Amino acid sequence: MLHDVAPTHRIRRSRLNTVRESLHRVLAISHHNVRLRLRDPGQAISYLVLPMILMVVLKPLYIRAVPGGSTQVVIGLVVMFSVLAVGIAGSSILVERQWHTWDRLRQTRAGSAEILLGKVAPIYLLMLLQQTILLTFGCVVIGMPWPDSPVLVAVAILVWSFALLAIGAALATIARSLSELGAISDVGAMVLSSLAGALVPLSILPGWVEVAAHASPGYYALEMLRAAVAGDTRQVLGNAAVLIAVGLAAGGYAIHRLARGWGRTRLL
Amino acid sequence: MGREGVLDIVDVTKRYGLVTALDRLTLRVEPGEIVGLVGHNGAGKTTLVEIISGLVRPDSGTVLITGHPPKQARGLVGIAPQNLALYPSITVHEHLELYGRLAGLRRRALSAAIDDLALGLGLTEILDRSTGVLSGGQQRRTQAAAALLNRPPVLVLDEPTAGADLSTRQAMLDLIKQRAGEGAAVLYTTHYLPELTDLDASIAVIRQGSVVARGNYDELVGGLPGEVVLHYEDGSARRVTTHDPASELITMLSASERPVTGVDVNHATLDDLYQALAVGHVA
Repeated sequence: MLHDVAPTHRIRRSRLNTVRESLHRVLAISHHNVRLRLRDPGQAISYLVLPMILMVVLKPLYIRAVPGGSTQVVIGLVVMFSVLAVGIAGSSILVERQWHTWDRLRQTRAGSAEILLGKVAPIYLLMLLQQTILLTFGCVVIGMPWPDSPVLVAVAILVWSFALLAIGAALATIARSLSELGAISDVGAMVLSSLAGALVPLSILPGWVEVAAHASPGYYALEMLRAAVAGDTRQVLGNAAVLIAVGLAAGGYAIHRLARGWGRTRLL
Repeated sequence: MGREGVLDIVDVTKRYGLVTALDRLTLRVEPGEIVGLVGHNGAGKTTLVEIISGLVRPDSGTVLITGHPPKQARGLVGIAPQNLALYPSITVHEHLELYGRLAGLRRRALSAAIDDLALGLGLTEILDRSTGVLSGGQQRRTQAAAALLNRPPVLVLDEPTAGADLSTRQAMLDLIKQRAGEGAAVLYTTHYLPELTDLDASIAVIRQGSVVARGNYDELVGGLPGEVVLHYEDGSARRVTTHDPASELITMLSASERPVTGVDVNHATLDDLYQALAVGHVA
């Protein structure tokens, strides 16, 4: 009996060690990326401060224009500036390519999945933090009603950040330079968030915009966050399913590109 | 069949479209051996390094590192790539900490390895400086240190001394020799042949993706003539090609009737070796 048990223990211990080693590498890369973000916090700060200022300035306009104007102004700007934060995710991955550090990391013991996980985890946390702070600011300063279910809001933020991160990673594997990425993410963010009704409520836009809005992930994010604040679980889950599908498609594409060395000859 | 080397490359071919980067290249590096891989730009050196490091898959042939294919042997190879791959806002210490942790080093072992390498490569004074503000030589040393941290059994160093000053170059060569002395197999690419005498390395000449000559420095380069140049006050110069530059220099100086303002002793270059290989002067 002992003869049978000992190898099983050994295999289990060896698997445990493999997982522990892998986790250690992911943590090392994450820790390193937190450092990188802290050394260059400008963009993240501006995407936090700008929407706060805009919320205060635009609040009277929204309150006069639509019912529930304070919720609309807060959620609209949260969606718009979280879409703009896609540029942060994209650029943090793209610079690794420009600095040749992505290939250098691939030459270490860390696997592609470990590198990607270590890279995106701090950015994901940054996105969660940005949206949480902005929604809290919306409740405390702008007068948006406090959500009935904080759990639903948390789910909405987690799902939306996942979709944004995946889109950012996919963009980083397509763009050939930081300025190209900036152009794609800034113009794309403005178009997608305007189309979604983040800037101007869909109810006061022409009818065709409401139809076209369904093509924008921002639309589902807006609907999901609005439903989360109102405590509508069904609406949250329906929109979350669409955003998870978008995230999986974009993330799958990014992983495919990154694991294959991501066309290392195509940089500008 | 002979015993396996630590690094075994057999019949490796790699094509990029119509360009053949490596053409049935075979090379073996034994434990404790330093092999200097020399060749012009585009000869295939960097492609070979990328294949060994698991970044690129060969079209055919095998690469084994202590018996494992490159992807499974990543922790066993210390790589200093030709391109600088550093984070400009991160300090030298933080770089070494990252690569040390990824190599499996922890706390005291990591700290000791960083201190040891910093001392050996003259990085101690700049450990807390961001790599973005360092000189090219200091950046090269940082990159090389990251490759040497966990004392891997195989070192692949792709022109690690490019752009380095004399003291950096010497510190790096001394450390590489030390690691080879401890049993590491070293593949060292360079354009600069005299480095290979300092390293006491054997030489593999790569041309158009194949190893076209293999031997030690004396066998391949020692027989090639060097050049002695005397410079005179009026700006003129006298050049003599010779197999014995030291004796020739003495003879020329003692025979010179005009004041000599400068002396150059030029050793055989990679071009000379290529030329000799082309005309069959070197086997």
